[in-house]
Amino acid sequence: MEGMEGAQEIQGLVQLDALGPRGAFRARNRLTVPDVGGTPVAELSLVPSLYVQRSMAALHRAGTLPADERAAALDRAGRIFATETVGGLTPQEYRALVSRCSGLPVAVVTAAAEIVADAAAQARDTTSQARPRGAVDHWNDPSTRQGRAVWTRRGDVFAVHAAGNHPGVHALWLEALVLGYRVAVRPSRREPFTPHRLISALREAGFPDDHVVLLPTDHAVADGVIKGADLAMVYGGDEVMKKYGGHPTVLPQGPGRSKILITGDDWRSHLDVIVDSIGDEGGTACVNATAVFVEGDPAPVAEAIADRLAAIPSLPPQDPKAVLPVQPVKEARAVERYLLRSAEGTTARLGGDGIVDELGDGSAVLRPAVFQLPRGDARQAGIELGFPCVWVAPWSRADGIEPLKNSLVLTAITEDEQLIGHLVDEPTISNVHVGDHPTYWMRPGTPHDGYLAEFLMRTKTVIRD
Amino acid sequence: MSNHSHVDRVLDCPMDETPGARDLLEAAMQWHFSPETGSPFWLERAKKLDFDPRADVHTFDDLKLFPNVVNELREVRAEELIPRGYGSFDDLYGVYESGGTTGAPKRVVCMNDWMERWLTFSQRKLDERDCPRNVNWLALMPDGPHIFGAALREGARRNGGILFTIDMDPRWVKKCIGEGRAEDAGRYAEHLVNQARHLLETQDVGVMITTPPLLERLAQDERLVELINRKVSLIQWGGAHMDADTRHLFRTEVFPGIQLQGAYGSTMILGGSLERVDTTGEDACVFDPLSPYISFSVIDPATGENVPYGERGQVVMNHISKGMLLPNNLERDTAVRMRPPEGQLGDSVAQVAPVASFDDEVVIEGVY
Repeated sequence: MEGMEGAQEIQGLVQLDALGPRGAFRARNRLTVPDVGGTPVAELSLVPSLYVQRSMAALHRAGTLPADERAAALDRAGRIFATETVGGLTPQEYRALVSRCSGLPVAVVTAAAEIVADAAAQARDTTSQARPRGAVDHWNDPSTRQGRAVWTRRGDVFAVHAAGNHPGVHALWLEALVLGYRVAVRPSRREPFTPHRLISALREAGFPDDHVVLLPTDHAVADGVIKGADLAMVYGGDEVMKKYGGHPTVLPQGPGRSKILITGDDWRSHLDVIVDSIGDEGGTACVNATAVFVEGDPAPVAEAIADRLAAIPSLPPQDPKAVLPVQPVKEARAVERYLLRSAEGTTARLGGDGIVDELGDGSAVLRPAVFQLPRGDARQAGIELGFPCVWVAPWSRADGIEPLKNSLVLTAITEDEQLIGHLVDEPTISNVHVGDHPTYWMRPGTPHDGYLAEFLMRTKTVIRD
Repeated sequence: MSNHSHVDRVLDCPMDETPGARDLLEAAMQWHFSPETGSPFWLERAKKLDFDPRADVHTFDDLKLFPNVVNELREVRAEELIPRGYGSFDDLYGVYESGGTTGAPKRVVCMNDWMERWLTFSQRKLDERDCPRNVNWLALMPDGPHIFGAALREGARRNGGILFTIDMDPRWVKKCIGEGRAEDAGRYAEHLVNQARHLLETQDVGVMITTPPLLERLAQDERLVELINRKVSLIQWGGAHMDADTRHLFRTEVFPGIQLQGAYGSTMILGGSLERVDTTGEDACVFDPLSPYISFSVIDPATGENVPYGERGQVVMNHISKGMLLPNNLERDTAVRMRPPEGQLGDSVAQVAPVASFDDEVVIEGVY
């Protein structure tokens, strides 16, 4: 274990208190957070509905810091989050905990901390990219004397039902804070460490306790966080999309189902981009490729992907060289059963005999899987799993963009400009990367699934004397 | 029904006396299973028992011999539940029903002598807390077929105050929630809160009795919270569970100057228990039943044995009085088993919570 992050043991269980409008709250009702091997690591305070209700009311009552202060505090918070001891945890200890409990490779966690810090520093610039050209930020802008659009919030309080698959999800809601929203985050039980650390850092950096809160709750109380807010963002699968899809005040963050399309004969020189799109971030992100569509025969592409992914070693998540995600054996086996059942009728190129590699401590590595589909419209192409798992399918011009729809990211390795135009025009494709740009490419300032500010803000006309 | 009431030395003991457990159990078995005094329901039911209650039941443990008969109370005619030893309907206070959470409601009879014992017990418990006398009570609680409403009416009268009530139908709320119409349940709660608001604004109210969910609703309105804090000195909650964190918040943040007292009971024991005055500062929320008539035990449902003190198990309730015998009823609640006060039959219970539903389902598809 030498040289591994997390080698420095933390005594006892880490206490993750709720962070309410009057400060930290240690509940009597606490959930044990185990690591992937089943060893208890932390206790998460779960708050009852009365606490949620009072916290949301306090957020509504609170004011908003001036815009410059918000941006400066966010910048400071990002640095504190990434580099300082917060809540008694050094950055290294924090990364080890996230890695141990979520099973995410520690290198991914480390990179994600940088992403969050960057997002905090650039939140103001990012949101300003979303401001309509006709609008100004403040009613007292001189141009409003002639009549002008002003960019204003649609509400005051924003709630997030966060996901625990990747710490990077917490980069997004920072934009609501910079826009002047008060924010409540309900963390995932799988990985509450990141939002706890981030909100603690935001408070250290100057956001008052009643401007940003962490409300861990059990399932029965969770809806109260959304109901108590003006607007909300909810991560989840198809069932969450169904529940909140038609809801004007809720922005669901559903399945990614990111894809790659490759046309022409020269797929070999793009193999790096394809393999990285599948396996980077441990294959756990919504921007990881779920399916690869190949013009012509998909078999050699599937085999080449399989060869490359097969070489990745099985390592515990805290190992700096770890690349693959790790889960408790029981959960890993459940994923495996689901995968093999779903894969019936396809050709296994990797993982056909199973994907679980037990580490001997109660945890197991989820090894990559590559399956070849007989047709481009096979239903499996939409099955997104939280590890490097890819469906390789044939594609022809006659298929058109139909099988490529419903993608958070589509990397199109093609020079067909007409096709690119169709993909960019397609409303169910959120991002189009043309050429050698992996599906997971993201930069502050570019939208992830549209700009969040498109949902958070509106324009109104102001004219004055 | 015969014309004259039988009197039993033990079962009819004075209100301020407490019979010994063995005396009560033996007297109750004689009463409920003798052809002259027992109810048609129990006399008929006894034929299917594989033991003789009059010969075999002497101790608390012996109550485990009884099957749980509460499900039979959904269909049986109410008249058949009244022990023949009572002379006439004059002795009947009323017939009451369970909430109806699990199917059709179950029915029980409440005799005058039992109501008297229960009220005496409740008044003693309120006095232990220095609950003010001669103040008005406001009840946002189920009435109608639910026994608690009747007890409140009597309780307020004896306490020397007016009882203000609000109609509340918990079955409708459960139906709304069961059908996924949480929106309707919310509107109904709002409707109740608005009625309470008007009463609180216009009337003197010293004691408020309500359920934890309605108390949370009331707490959403700052003006109502202010009114309650100004007027009310004791809030009694019951009819649903309140977790320790919620109780803590009510006590320390929402209603800091008001005594909170929990009530834990069930229609199937014709009453219940009131929260013990906390002298430990641990806020354990312990309930001591009206022993020996009402008794609890906290068991491991897998073995039927008591869990150790301080550990959580499922609650078994017994009611043994002249008017009703309902032994060995496994409730859907869990609680921490607590040492009883000296002389109490069975266990005291703390931190009552619903039976946990274990959800092992692993969500597989998707990355979130």
